[in-house]
Amino acid sequence: MPMTAPASASQLDVAADLLALLRDSTTEPRPDSQLEALTLAVAADLPVLLWGEPGIGKTATLTQLAAALDLPLTTVIASVHEPSDFSGLPVVGDDPATQGVPMAPPDWAVRLVRAGRGLLFLDELSTAPPAVQAALLRLVLERRIGALRLPPGVRIVAAANPRSSAADGWELSPPLANRFVHLQWTHDHETVVRGLGGTWPRATLPRLDPRKLREAVDFARRAVCGLLAARPTLVHRLPTNETGRGGPWPSPRSWDMTLSLIAFATAAGSARDVLSSLVRGTVGDGPGLELLASLDRLDLPDPEDVLADPAGAVLPERGDLRQAVLDGVVAAVRARPDRARWDSAWAVLVRALETGAPDLVVVPATTLASLRQQDWDVPAAIDRLAGTVALSRRADRAAVASKARR
Amino acid sequence: MSTKTPGEGGHLDRDKLFAARLHAARARPYLATALFALHTVESKQVPTMAVDRHWRCYVSPAFVDRMPVEELAGVWVHEVSHLLRDHHGRGDRVARERGLTGVGDRLRMNIAADCEINDDVYGDGLVAPKGAVRPWRLRLPEGQLMEEYLSGISFGPLTLDLAWLDCGSGADGLEREWDLGPDGADSLSEQERDAVRFRVAQGIKAHPGDTPQGWRRWAEEAFHPPQPWRDLLGAALRSAVSGSGAGDDYSYGRPSRRSAGVPGAVLPSLRRRPPRVCVIIDTSGSVSDGELGSALLEVAAISHAVGGRRDLVNVLSCDAAAGVVRPLCRAEGIPLVGGGGTDLRTGFEKALRSRPRPDVVVALTDGQTPWPSARPSCRTVIGLFPRPGRSRARRENNPEYVPDSPPAWARVVEIGSANGAR
Repeated sequence: MPMTAPASASQLDVAADLLALLRDSTTEPRPDSQLEALTLAVAADLPVLLWGEPGIGKTATLTQLAAALDLPLTTVIASVHEPSDFSGLPVVGDDPATQGVPMAPPDWAVRLVRAGRGLLFLDELSTAPPAVQAALLRLVLERRIGALRLPPGVRIVAAANPRSSAADGWELSPPLANRFVHLQWTHDHETVVRGLGGTWPRATLPRLDPRKLREAVDFARRAVCGLLAARPTLVHRLPTNETGRGGPWPSPRSWDMTLSLIAFATAAGSARDVLSSLVRGTVGDGPGLELLASLDRLDLPDPEDVLADPAGAVLPERGDLRQAVLDGVVAAVRARPDRARWDSAWAVLVRALETGAPDLVVVPATTLASLRQQDWDVPAAIDRLAGTVALSRRADRAAVASKARR
Repeated sequence: MSTKTPGEGGHLDRDKLFAARLHAARARPYLATALFALHTVESKQVPTMAVDRHWRCYVSPAFVDRMPVEELAGVWVHEVSHLLRDHHGRGDRVARERGLTGVGDRLRMNIAADCEINDDVYGDGLVAPKGAVRPWRLRLPEGQLMEEYLSGISFGPLTLDLAWLDCGSGADGLEREWDLGPDGADSLSEQERDAVRFRVAQGIKAHPGDTPQGWRRWAEEAFHPPQPWRDLLGAALRSAVSGSGAGDDYSYGRPSRRSAGVPGAVLPSLRRRPPRVCVIIDTSGSVSDGELGSALLEVAAISHAVGGRRDLVNVLSCDAAAGVVRPLCRAEGIPLVGGGGTDLRTGFEKALRSRPRPDVVVALTDGQTPWPSARPSCRTVIGLFPRPGRSRARRENNPEYVPDSPPAWARVVEIGSANGAR
């Protein structure tokens, strides 16, 4: 009889060995723009909300992020808690009339405050009842749980299932939605297959460059203020239609968050894709895309620089951007016409013709030619633009032919 | 005048290709950004002209030689339309949803996508290239979306001559052997692609008068695709039912079960009061029974899911006068009476007077009605059946009649506006 006990224990040992083998996996470095966006938002101390179908590894990502940032992870499933867990449990003392009723915080909050730093992960946010969401509002914005205040070293990330998959979920109220950076979380097929095969990606986290900080803040301020000065209606726009509810929307608060995110992404040297998902997740698709479009224009070379040095100017490869630069150059000449600038603009056009598609040059060349004044000689370079005239004529003939064939 | 370039083994006639693009950009100024953003790649493997999802445009030199400039301009616009309308992404989605895996299915998608484009991009200064697929050639109606065309397309005598058709991976999502892939040179990143599509959509919205209906619809929906109304109605109803005073929420009325374990603490407890939903149905002649039936079933199913019981859903049919409030016990037993003009105000009055009082009122209507002037004392969701032409017809018959738009205090969901395919 005593023989059976070690036999079953050894069975468990074997099972433990098998489990250890199954968990034995390696990692490989792989760029991951989702994780980069998440890291930047967490670094910027903004609350992040991950939207994703259940079971695609949001929790695993958070574990990885906490390890990478060296922060202890505290997970709280919002939907199984009561509002008092976030607003504090009222405890009646001896003499409530004189001492008041203190709001006692739950144990995880106490531990978090004692540690002074950590990553607080609020899971299942969208399935929490409205009263719980209302209590979370204070936690997310004011960082208060009952009588406790979360120290600055604590970062907050939440996760929610999209409306379509949360069969019995509640939607996020607009005030709560406005406090988060919304990131869409999707799984990458290849990553999952390689991961199940034993190799998970190890994202290289963005590093902030200490020398770029001031420049990054300047850039971010210029980008946001430039856009909002020109488009005042973008400052505040509460979602009015059903589709926009529960998602990001522009308000002075979320623009302020956007400003921080641009500064962080710039200081980290992040790709535009990363910034795009951050900005669109903060102020919404429309205003976010307008901001990105104005950033693209900030990136284009200054027409005055191009005019000053036509030979050394670097024109963008992409046709639509290249045309924007050429139009800008011609507009600059039109604004302040003189002989030298006019000649220099022709040199820019010749260069554009030699390095890219000829049809882009036609409109700027026609406009530039119309700016000629009586005493200006036609520059020698113009001969090389003769091809564009032929091209333009050919397009005109095509237009006539199209009309005729209708 | 035109430089004769030998077609066989010859090089690409760039002047002809770009003259065509210039003509296309002049004929369709709102597409110029997108046309110029395309990177052209010369390729002898491509039968004609094809795009990939990274906004590269592969061009066969022989194809350029045999097409006249004006038709080539049409091809440019056609190819860029595939990318702007995200046919590859939508193709992938349809393939997943409907389980389409074969190469033949992708060809059908390409044909369906071509039908969606070709029914409204040509004309007005742009010539349709020879052999362009038109819906009428496949005996299909015009003005539909790729997803709708797809179910009507099968291989048969009508499609036999289309087997050569190939607009590349940008049109249907299937990688081709000539594709340079995501790592190749000159690709547009996802953010850049969105930026170009956004600029084109902004341009169209700024000058809606110059653009055909199909492009205007695209610009409206490019970044805000319509959501399936079932989800929206569900979310609206759920949030109405979950508000304070209805459904389940915390209450200090009874102590929480946890109280025993935390002596001295006063805790609220979760209490559920099943929500009562009253559905007002507009039975004026303009709403079809099929639409009403599906919307009503949806309301019943959602209220069931949030904890209500079938017997707590009441139905009230209403035209100019309100009918009797009846419980919805069986889906098929809904008595819909009426058929004249509509005045939902009497319906609201009757619904709010019914005992026990409803927590939520759902009005299913086409919106051609006067609305109550004050906010009702309970939450309101309006399911609106869109009627684009009808309102104008009524106004012409009766110039004094001005239908009010749904009031701001209600949550409005357009029913049947999206088929859920996108």
